[in-house]
Amino acid sequence: MDNLLEVRDVHTFIGQFHILQGVTVNVPKGAITALLGRNGAGKTTTLKTILGLTPPRQGQVVLDGQEIQGRRTFDISAMGIGFVPDYRAIFRDLTVAENLQIAERKKGDLARRQELIFGLFPDLQRLIKLRGTQLSGGQQQMLAIARALVADNKLLLIDEPTEGLAPVIIEQMMAAILKLSADTTVLLVEQNFAVASQLAKHYVIIEEGRSVQRGAMPDLLKDEETIHRYLGAA
Amino acid sequence: MTTIIDTIRKNRTQAVTLAALIVLFLLAIQGMETGDWIITVLRGLSVAAVTFLVASGFSLIFGLMDVLNLAHGTLFMIGAYVGWTAYVRPDTLLDLATPAALFFAGLLLLPLWDHLLSRVRLSHRAGRVLPWVVIVLGLAVLAFGFARYPTTGWDVSVYDKSPVVFGVQLDLGQLDLPKPTTADGGQLVLSMLSLLMGGGLLALGLAVFAMRNRGAMAAAARLPWRAVMIALVLVIIGIGFFLLNDALTAGLVQAGTTWRFLLAVVVATLVGAGLGALMESTLIRPLYARPIYQLMLTLGLGVIGREVVIALWGRTQMQMPKPALFNTVGKGCPAQTIFDAFANQCSTINFMGSRIRTYNEIFIFVIGVLVLVVVWFLLQRTRIGMIIRAGVQDHEMVEALGINVRQVFTFVFALGVGLAALGGVLAGPSMGVSDDMGESLLLSALIALAIGGLTSFPGAAAGSLLVGLLQQFIVKYGQIGIALPFLAQPFKPTPPLVPASTLLLMVIILLVMPNGLFGRKE
Repeated sequence: MDNLLEVRDVHTFIGQFHILQGVTVNVPKGAITALLGRNGAGKTTTLKTILGLTPPRQGQVVLDGQEIQGRRTFDISAMGIGFVPDYRAIFRDLTVAENLQIAERKKGDLARRQELIFGLFPDLQRLIKLRGTQLSGGQQQMLAIARALVADNKLLLIDEPTEGLAPVIIEQMMAAILKLSADTTVLLVEQNFAVASQLAKHYVIIEEGRSVQRGAMPDLLKDEETIHRYLGAA
Repeated sequence: MTTIIDTIRKNRTQAVTLAALIVLFLLAIQGMETGDWIITVLRGLSVAAVTFLVASGFSLIFGLMDVLNLAHGTLFMIGAYVGWTAYVRPDTLLDLATPAALFFAGLLLLPLWDHLLSRVRLSHRAGRVLPWVVIVLGLAVLAFGFARYPTTGWDVSVYDKSPVVFGVQLDLGQLDLPKPTTADGGQLVLSMLSLLMGGGLLALGLAVFAMRNRGAMAAAARLPWRAVMIALVLVIIGIGFFLLNDALTAGLVQAGTTWRFLLAVVVATLVGAGLGALMESTLIRPLYARPIYQLMLTLGLGVIGREVVIALWGRTQMQMPKPALFNTVGKGCPAQTIFDAFANQCSTINFMGSRIRTYNEIFIFVIGVLVLVVVWFLLQRTRIGMIIRAGVQDHEMVEALGINVRQVFTFVFALGVGLAALGGVLAGPSMGVSDDMGESLLLSALIALAIGGLTSFPGAAAGSLLVGLLQQFIVKYGQIGIALPFLAQPFKPTPPLVPASTLLLMVIILLVMPNGLFGRKE
């Protein structure tokens, strides 16, 4: 299998706390991989470790055959990784347009991707002049994903895209993520197992800072015991 | 109409505060004659402009990097001293241009070293010791080179040759620069080479440092030609400055005080920006995760900076005469209109029965407004401004978008300190140049920021305005007295009440609006 990203047995410390104690994640090209696990298992830290926001102390992170651990975050991101954090991180004082412009890595990125972005999220076009503070939670989530699409990214790291959203919006968001995954590989953190199981082709389960199980999503769906043990959902 | 009412209703506290301030202002001008309050307002605006230059830089730095730069007052003062040197002693400034250019040319070899060292791996122990050895060696070579380079300065310990005297001379129009120092060819070449080499060694030390921290990495494919080319150009510029030294000095003396003042403003601002960039990239950067150490560091740097200034320029307050453009008395002066003032280069204008000083009350304020507009434009309309505004909120996310936030930090630090240094050189002619000029101003700036909201740029402007106006009104009432109903004699505020009154205003505003006028609720 052709992996776009390989996280190999990484250990990450935050302060003195040993948060990740051996996480291995393979993200195959051209599909959605879901990181599953309970609250506090280390899913968000895994994403931050990939990006170098919390650099790993041990282990490798390999993007497209190139080791990227230890590089600075902006450098890693510029190699083609888009990040949608769980807290969305919309810039409050910037307008929607500026929130998109700031993600340009080359001049004209936004113009080139405009069609794709407004095709996925038509609402954003209407809101373009509003400031970040004036958006609803769902609109902020759309903008956060749109922002990650402005530059030419090979891989998107999306953290909890449906958290706190109304069911109607969740459906919209799922449709958008499915659509964008046609040309971009996605590593998705999702608490809502129903959502994750519909979107992802592959899964990795993280439990107490270790990756404990991985495989294809259809196999997991048949394995009720695992679902119950690690995810607490039926 | 309804929208206006809505806005007021939503921002009720702001509206009430604003109304209260306007009422206070109207009450304050009641007790004065028209001419008096106009001059007081103008002086307030001028003080506000200088305060704003310090406060805005401080607030930009604090907003983006959470660094409370307690050295900001000292850097303001250094701006004044550097400006004074360019203004009063252009010969010394030009003498320093060559060593500076050569030093920076050496420092610019950093990318070259980075490239050459990228395949080398150091053992742990060598990595601990080597960079320090190289850096200390570099500093020694620099000192060796600089001591042998011929510079014409002053002598703090001999009154006749002290900076104070040159200030007075210029004020009297009898500036008498000392004879330039010379050195023979061998010494000269040796010193120039040492300066270049010292810079190069320093860069090498830094490169080894960086290498130790990141380990060996794949090298960039090509040599960093651009940096090497710029270094070469700098060497040529340095030699050019040396060859043209006498001609340039004569030219600057001939050019007169107005042009030299312009030069002083540019040089002081650039030196300030350079100092800021240097401070951030070497001293502050390792301490971002440790706020207390940072505080101690900037506090210490402030004290050290002041002692260095005293050692170099002496303890006595120096005069910085106003540039010719604002310094003519008689011959159509005081002018009746602002155009006449410019045409005759008047020092004062008659306006509504009071004399307004063109430099203190008009020029400084105009520059303050100009800086406000330029920085506002930079923040709101440029990409770097957009990145700064975003970074103030969440610099991790900005970095995760592929933007090198570290460079932006250095830029903002340079900008903030550059603004303070600009404030210093502008304040030189009106306040005098002394080593304690920064401290009271930093206090005023901090009060202004607390009033306006610590990280808000409009807040810095509004806070500075309030502080400046209040200070000057109290000063004026100290002269004419306030008639209070329950006192037989008019009450005359004493000078210590000037800073106290601004603190009082701050306390009141913070009680009503804990985040300041423009602060954001967290």
